[in-house]
Amino acid sequence: MWRLNKVRYKAGRQGDSLEELRLKRREHERTLRQARRDRQLVSKRLLLNEDEEQQDITMDTTPGEQDVVSLVHKLQHSGPEKEANLKALSKALRDPSAQLTFVKLENSVHLLVGLLTSSNAQCRLQAVQCLHELSHSPHKNVAPACLPATSYLLTYLSGPSTKFSELCLYTLGNICPDSDAVKEKLLAQGIIPALATCMENQRHNLAVVEAVGFTLSQLLQTKDAAVKIIPMVLASTLPSNLLSVLTPDPKFGLAPAIECAWCLHYLTSSSKDNRELLCRGALVQCSSLLVSLGRAVAEGNKDEGLELLVCPVLRCVGNLLFSCPVEGLSTQVGDVHLVVALCGLVQAYLHTQPALAREAAWVLNNLTAHSSQFCSALLTLNLVPGLIQLLRFSQGINTMVSILRILANIAHKKQEFCIQLTQLGLLSVLCATLKMVDQEMVTLSLDVLFMLVVSSPQVAAEFVNQGGLSLLEAIQYNGEGDRRRRATYLLEQHLLSYRL
Amino acid sequence: MLQPDMFQLMTAGDVSVRGCHEESPTGASEKQQKRRQSESEEGNPFSFSPQRLHLHRDHELFEDGDILRHMYLQDLYILEAEDKPTLSVSEFACHISGCSSVFSTLEEYEHHYNSLHRHVCCSCRRSLPNARLLDIHIQEWHDSLFTILAQRQDMYQCLVEGCGQKFRTTQHRKDHLIRIHKYPPDFRFDKTKKDKRTRETKTQQQKDAAMEVVDDVCESEGVCDVMCNVLSDQPEHEESMETHASEEEAARLAKSTEDLPAAAQGSDSTSSAPAKAQYSYRVPPAVCFGHGSVRGFRGRRGRRK
Repeated sequence: MWRLNKVRYKAGRQGDSLEELRLKRREHERTLRQARRDRQLVSKRLLLNEDEEQQDITMDTTPGEQDVVSLVHKLQHSGPEKEANLKALSKALRDPSAQLTFVKLENSVHLLVGLLTSSNAQCRLQAVQCLHELSHSPHKNVAPACLPATSYLLTYLSGPSTKFSELCLYTLGNICPDSDAVKEKLLAQGIIPALATCMENQRHNLAVVEAVGFTLSQLLQTKDAAVKIIPMVLASTLPSNLLSVLTPDPKFGLAPAIECAWCLHYLTSSSKDNRELLCRGALVQCSSLLVSLGRAVAEGNKDEGLELLVCPVLRCVGNLLFSCPVEGLSTQVGDVHLVVALCGLVQAYLHTQPALAREAAWVLNNLTAHSSQFCSALLTLNLVPGLIQLLRFSQGINTMVSILRILANIAHKKQEFCIQLTQLGLLSVLCATLKMVDQEMVTLSLDVLFMLVVSSPQVAAEFVNQGGLSLLEAIQYNGEGDRRRRATYLLEQHLLSYRL
Repeated sequence: MLQPDMFQLMTAGDVSVRGCHEESPTGASEKQQKRRQSESEEGNPFSFSPQRLHLHRDHELFEDGDILRHMYLQDLYILEAEDKPTLSVSEFACHISGCSSVFSTLEEYEHHYNSLHRHVCCSCRRSLPNARLLDIHIQEWHDSLFTILAQRQDMYQCLVEGCGQKFRTTQHRKDHLIRIHKYPPDFRFDKTKKDKRTRETKTQQQKDAAMEVVDDVCESEGVCDVMCNVLSDQPEHEESMETHASEEEAARLAKSTEDLPAAAQGSDSTSSAPAKAQYSYRVPPAVCFGHGSVRGFRGRRGRRK
């Protein structure tokens, strides 16, 4: 993947020790987490030129602010070296303070807009490069300054030059989350139809597809997207095209699929009603992709950044399952390979990416909640022992709750399933989880225990053999509310004969 | 006896779990109709029903994955394996108030819980190592009849199971345990460094607010509480609990109370030193069998009027 390769290269040459780098990353991660909690998690992308990829950008002795002023001056006076000046300007605008200086200069942006529409192709390219640098600015005031250019950028989206289109797209993607005014203007100028057309026309140009995906994902993450943007998107050809790109191209890499998958995630997670997407075969596509991803992960595929794609696809499947009518489940989801894939993902990511393991467990819950077929598959394919085992060593309460819910879904379907679960050792694990302090786990454990105990008298006897009575009595004594009532009910109604 | 519509689908639609949106499993109810007995009986508290969960994009479950995504966008995503653990993992955290222990496996957590939070006295919320010691504790601490009887006859049982001997005072019992059952004089029950620190800080608070009931501590005090029961005849043993937390501190305080130049004592601990001067802060030679319990409550008990 060309972007990830760049990251490693950059990490290597900055002269920081690995430890410093790690510290920086951790600090950055903290910032991102806080931003997400504030609902302000926004990122911009900077497209680097090929020649720059080999250079150390940070060591570039950037011309100072004064040079920005003088360059603008030169450009305004129609010198002969427009291209060279523009190139110098775009380099200068890499610097955040230079960006501020630039937008404060009178008519500076209009200058760029003029150059953007000039007859000289190189000038146009450099002008858009300058705008792209501006769009990447960390200062909130800079992006709105680019507004005068946006209508032109939109018209150029489907141009013949890949590089040009990419720059236009990333520039638009960078500025749209910065302020509501910018977003409104872009919507009014028809950004959604423009993106749809671009995607439609450039479907085979994966670099452009990636850029469209990025820009769309930026729009979909904005605050009122569910009301203002998503209906428009759903009405366009974008969903179908997004879905068609999902399967990664082996040569180009995962990047376009990643962007499109995240778009689909924002679409499916913003609203509970995803029938539109279901009609277009979203669940079919996503679940078959998940099956192949699961296979790849299980085979130890070392594809870099695979989890960047697994994550949004998992979420799409999870949320689409919510909207999928139960009767149609097997046609949408295919056969039981999905169950295998999901269990594989839970196991594979348990220690390396625990969050993904949690998400996979959530999807399994949604899959098994109302389907005897998939519950039965878990048993038949001998996937349950692995899940039961996770309840002993799993990392994190959330994962444990999800896994126990899956087992509860199975127990809930049939008495035979309960007996099978007991034979696979669920009782002894319940004896452990009943001692936990997390209330949800204890309540859920009691619920599962109840289902098992009433399924057959042998289960009740087995539970008593394993010392279950004292556990329930402890809950009765120490527990509150729900837990105490459940323990009492079990002891008095179903285990009375064992209490001698 | 199986009844057709046993299963109660009551809670589904309205309950929200951690911000998720749940659906009401209407269409699927037929499948769940072959039900177990007694579920529709009165008073059945069990209400589990399988539910699909829709997670909104802002849901906390999605936090880590979103961070991953944005680190990638900002070119910060690095693939070296050693960076993986920076994603936060929620561990087993003990939920007992005041206990901040954290564990990465269920078994460790179980062991902790069973060791420290079982056999808890209802009245004072101390944790005892086993049921027998809990019984003894309740008897000796919270039973007024015991207190009355103890004035006239040997009531303090030997703590070693099977021994059966009884003693007039806790001191006698301590001596017995050391002499006969070879308990070490400085025997501690599972004390950890962290507890020691906690106790030290609590000891400070203790000194500042002499007779107030301090918030419950989570440490297991084990045998110590039973052993160091405060009686009027053994006031210094009460201090043995507190000062055992930090013998250096006790020594320092002992020294300061002896010197008592009020002006020179600037630290906050000395503000209550005069108030505590009536207690002897010597490090006791006696045995203390557990964590110090640092409760003002106990202090109050020791001051028999």
